[in-house]
Amino acid sequence: MKISLNWLNTYFKNKLDGFDLVKKFNLMSQEVSSFEKLLDINGLVIGHVKSMEKHENADKLNVCQVDVGNEILQIICGAPNVDVNQKVIVAKVGAVLPGDFKIKKAKIRGVESFGMICSLQELGIQEFDSDEKGIYVLESDASCGENPLQYLGLDDFVLELDLTANRSDLLSYRGVAYDVACMLDLDIEFRKVKVDREPKENPVSIYTQTKDSSVYYGQVLEGVKVKDSPYWLKSRLIASGIRPINNVVDITNYVMLEYGQPLHAFDYEKIKSDRIIVREAITGEKITTLDGEERTLLDGDIVITDGEKPIALAGVMGGLDTEIDNSSTTILLESAIFNPVKVRKTANRLNLKSESSSRFEKGIDYQETLNALNYACSLLVELADAKVIGNPSFYNNINSKKKTIKLSLDKINSITGYAFTVEVVEDIFRRLRFSYKYRNDQYIITVPSRRPMDSYQDIIEEIVRINGYDKIPVSLPITPTQGGLNHKQSVIRQIRNYFVGKGLSETKTYSLVSLELATLFDQEESETIRILNPLTKEREYLRHSILPSLMGVLSYNKARKIDDVLLFEIANTYFKNGEKLKLAALISGKINNSTWQKMNCEIDFYYIKGLLETLFKELGITEYSFELSKETLPQLHPGISALVKVNDQVCGFLGKIHPETEIKIGLKDIFVMEIDLSNILNRNQTNVLGYKEISKYPSVNRDLAIWLDKNISAKEVVSVIKEVGNKTLNSVEIFDVYYDEEKSNLKSIALSLEFSSFDRTLETKEVDNQINKITDALNNKLNAKLRG
Amino acid sequence: MKNKLNEMIIQAEKSIMSCKTYNDVLDVKAKYLGKKSDFNDLMQELKNLPNEEKPLFGKLINEAKQEISKLIDEKREELEKSKINDLLKAQAIDISLPGRDFTLGHKHVLTKTVEEIEDIFVGLGYEIKEGPEIESDLYNFEMLNLPKDHPAREMQDSFYITEEILMRTHTSPVQVRSLLANAERKPMKIICPGVVYRKDDDDQTHSHQFMQVEALVVDELTTLADLKGTLLLIAKKLFGENREIRLRPSYFPFTEPSVEVDVSCFKCNGKGCSMCKSTGWIEILGAGMVNNNVLQAAGYDPMKYQGFALGMGIERIAMLKYGIEDIRLLYTNDLRFNSQF
Repeated sequence: MKISLNWLNTYFKNKLDGFDLVKKFNLMSQEVSSFEKLLDINGLVIGHVKSMEKHENADKLNVCQVDVGNEILQIICGAPNVDVNQKVIVAKVGAVLPGDFKIKKAKIRGVESFGMICSLQELGIQEFDSDEKGIYVLESDASCGENPLQYLGLDDFVLELDLTANRSDLLSYRGVAYDVACMLDLDIEFRKVKVDREPKENPVSIYTQTKDSSVYYGQVLEGVKVKDSPYWLKSRLIASGIRPINNVVDITNYVMLEYGQPLHAFDYEKIKSDRIIVREAITGEKITTLDGEERTLLDGDIVITDGEKPIALAGVMGGLDTEIDNSSTTILLESAIFNPVKVRKTANRLNLKSESSSRFEKGIDYQETLNALNYACSLLVELADAKVIGNPSFYNNINSKKKTIKLSLDKINSITGYAFTVEVVEDIFRRLRFSYKYRNDQYIITVPSRRPMDSYQDIIEEIVRINGYDKIPVSLPITPTQGGLNHKQSVIRQIRNYFVGKGLSETKTYSLVSLELATLFDQEESETIRILNPLTKEREYLRHSILPSLMGVLSYNKARKIDDVLLFEIANTYFKNGEKLKLAALISGKINNSTWQKMNCEIDFYYIKGLLETLFKELGITEYSFELSKETLPQLHPGISALVKVNDQVCGFLGKIHPETEIKIGLKDIFVMEIDLSNILNRNQTNVLGYKEISKYPSVNRDLAIWLDKNISAKEVVSVIKEVGNKTLNSVEIFDVYYDEEKSNLKSIALSLEFSSFDRTLETKEVDNQINKITDALNNKLNAKLRG
Repeated sequence: MKNKLNEMIIQAEKSIMSCKTYNDVLDVKAKYLGKKSDFNDLMQELKNLPNEEKPLFGKLINEAKQEISKLIDEKREELEKSKINDLLKAQAIDISLPGRDFTLGHKHVLTKTVEEIEDIFVGLGYEIKEGPEIESDLYNFEMLNLPKDHPAREMQDSFYITEEILMRTHTSPVQVRSLLANAERKPMKIICPGVVYRKDDDDQTHSHQFMQVEALVVDELTTLADLKGTLLLIAKKLFGENREIRLRPSYFPFTEPSVEVDVSCFKCNGKGCSMCKSTGWIEILGAGMVNNNVLQAAGYDPMKYQGFALGMGIERIAMLKYGIEDIRLLYTNDLRFNSQF
């Protein structure tokens, strides 16, 4: 809401201090989004064109002698409409017009010029005058040397409020005046409205066939002369952000701004009957609105009809057929209230948001509906020579029973934590102009129709803001509660810390992706969830996997010459049966890679596998396994990927990106993993805590190297060893795998075995026996031969 | 004889002083203290002395031997030390060369900010609650005093999945779920961090996906003053001990009274700068006393229970804290950016 300070000042005895007002609004009411001069131009004066002659070297230029009060200035003017005896706006040398246009002493084709005669457009005012053709010509009563902005009413400040949804009362100057009066503790002076009426019958009759219009006043006025509005009216509209059009339209807008009640004027002669019927539209019914568009209506829309067809879309826009034009003389003025929700829906659907519709949407003070009509009538009499024909016709189904709210001082203080006194509260009620009674330790407040309120919380809000939030003391809640992270939250932090420590950086990517990406890396291949109203195709589906996004991040960074990309993200993925928190990681390039003192490590399958195994260790997860499976994803290399199982349930995968994909995106050696964390996070946490006993005696280490068929997995070898080894076998670690070109179907695995006992130092013989057993078993079961 | 001894000591001292290596010292030692040393000759002479003189000269010889032995030990020690010193000198490296590079990953700046906020609240006795991102209209709007036709719904243009299911536009539905789950009406202090969505085109200040943390306190006693104290504490923890706060009236359907919270500008200390648009204050979050309709919808008796709620955008806090000017940087994951946090 844009507020003209000049206009606002009319309600108060003394002029308001604009800067103080800004502070007050910010701290006690609504945020001020801007406060500035309507026109910030100095050096303008009213001038009188005393004489004028053609420029000797230029046909289209005139050399004018202009009286600006204390001197006569020679000014060259190129406007076609400049003439002797005109009162004009002169920008003197030194003035700066909008667009940083500095007025300087100039010599134009050999003739000196000391200023500029201006149009209003040059001052930054568009369409003040409907037929401005060049310079702006003032009325003859303007006096030389004075400030033309003041003369035109444009020497104004504009205060713009960012209104919240609960303060629709501030959509009118009267509402703003109430708020200002309350904040500054001032008296308000509202103008008394008197309408001179012709002693005739108002010819129109008004009916409703819908509950969506509670009140409707219609007034016929005759003899209307459509013309320009006076300066003061135009200026106030301009300062309020509304374009002046003609006196009739301007008056309806002016009254809407003053009361918050939108009005509409029909050309009464264009209405085909003398009956106005408000009803719900019939689906398929059509109306051409003022903007020339034909609108097809639905049965939720409310229309004003002439008994047959719609002549206006209630609260949204008038119809073209009954539009006021320059030759209109008899008008029907409407002041009514329509269902806010219906107006909003219609305005939204037809994309016809306006000053009127937005006020209807937020609710109108029914007590001002008739006042607004009457004020408009009086202005039309004054400014358009109108004659008001009798009293308004109307229906009024408003339930005007006043709502009351009960509130005790104790309640105020127990909610605010501040010690309000009866005096302070009652003084605030007085300033708010709320009437109340005090009964049984409670205030019973009558809710004014201009400030709809539902509960005592609304009243407390008013009391606190007027008293000032700065007065509220500071304390902390006193009820004891135990805070903390739960198991799941702690584990997630642990996982993040783990990956960061291992050199991976966390990403945040979007959940909404394109259809193509939504199903990649999807183990379940289930249906994706689609957004009904997406912004773009790129953000239309909820992702099943984080990895497509990480692939995008990889490409982005590689394109910026960042070679080592190590990423992880923990985020939700979205399925028809619910959300799954997943952990994804992607690594490509080298780790610990610096040119100095190389200790970098090429990333391979075992790197990402180890990363996950170590995480499992960190989290205390022991029951996990990796399985080569045909069921891993088509996006992965079939021979360098595995399913991950925890407690025998598949919970994710890891591996190398399929070479085909790598070629497609022009990158290689990308390793990824994705784990559904739900299994891991929901693991039973009541495991008995404990530790594994360690032996007092030294252990014995033996290395073993074997040749065996290339296709036998390391896992099988280890399980054979563990099977035959007795309880002195502590651990089996693989420390090397070797392929010989001459033995193409074989590979060599080197293992380190550790033996120990809890009750003695093991003897060499015992260990030898174990090793023999193990090598026999490897030979028998896997045809593995000891490497010589 | 006495003179002879003195002469020997002087001679020995000279040769010890001229020793350059450990071997030189051993030679000197052999010469003076070995089996064929000059002292042995003197010992032979001692035998020829009268008995009453023997003890005196014996003592003198011993003293001389000790003196020389001491000098030899000292020299030996000195040479050993210098040998080690030479070794150390030879081993010295250029310590100004860089250390080895251990790649360290980085938490995302939004995670860092969320964890920082979580830790502040956990310290105040708050629990962390989470909920689904795909929400019902009922929890996201209706139970938060935003009925179907409420105009404020337009403030939060949403991504819908069906007419009744949408991507949550705030983490407030977690508050509703937590209230509903608290059948015993135990005093509740929770925060709800999480990802939320609004149908905004991505630009410098808007992101269709962003993060929020909301806090909710409901018991029988908590006041607006408690809210103000909590806000002040958070502002100080997040933006520095010298910060002040200012509350301004605002509107949210789920709270009443509702306030916007400004923190005194941490760049100019309230004097006015580009960051605070010359006002000295920076808006950081919204808050208020829980609206009775919200309590009632969750089955609470609003005459008995009361409390406050507050909510902040993590992106905004992170951007303010680190001076980040484009919200899209937070979701681009350019590692040159991500690795700065």
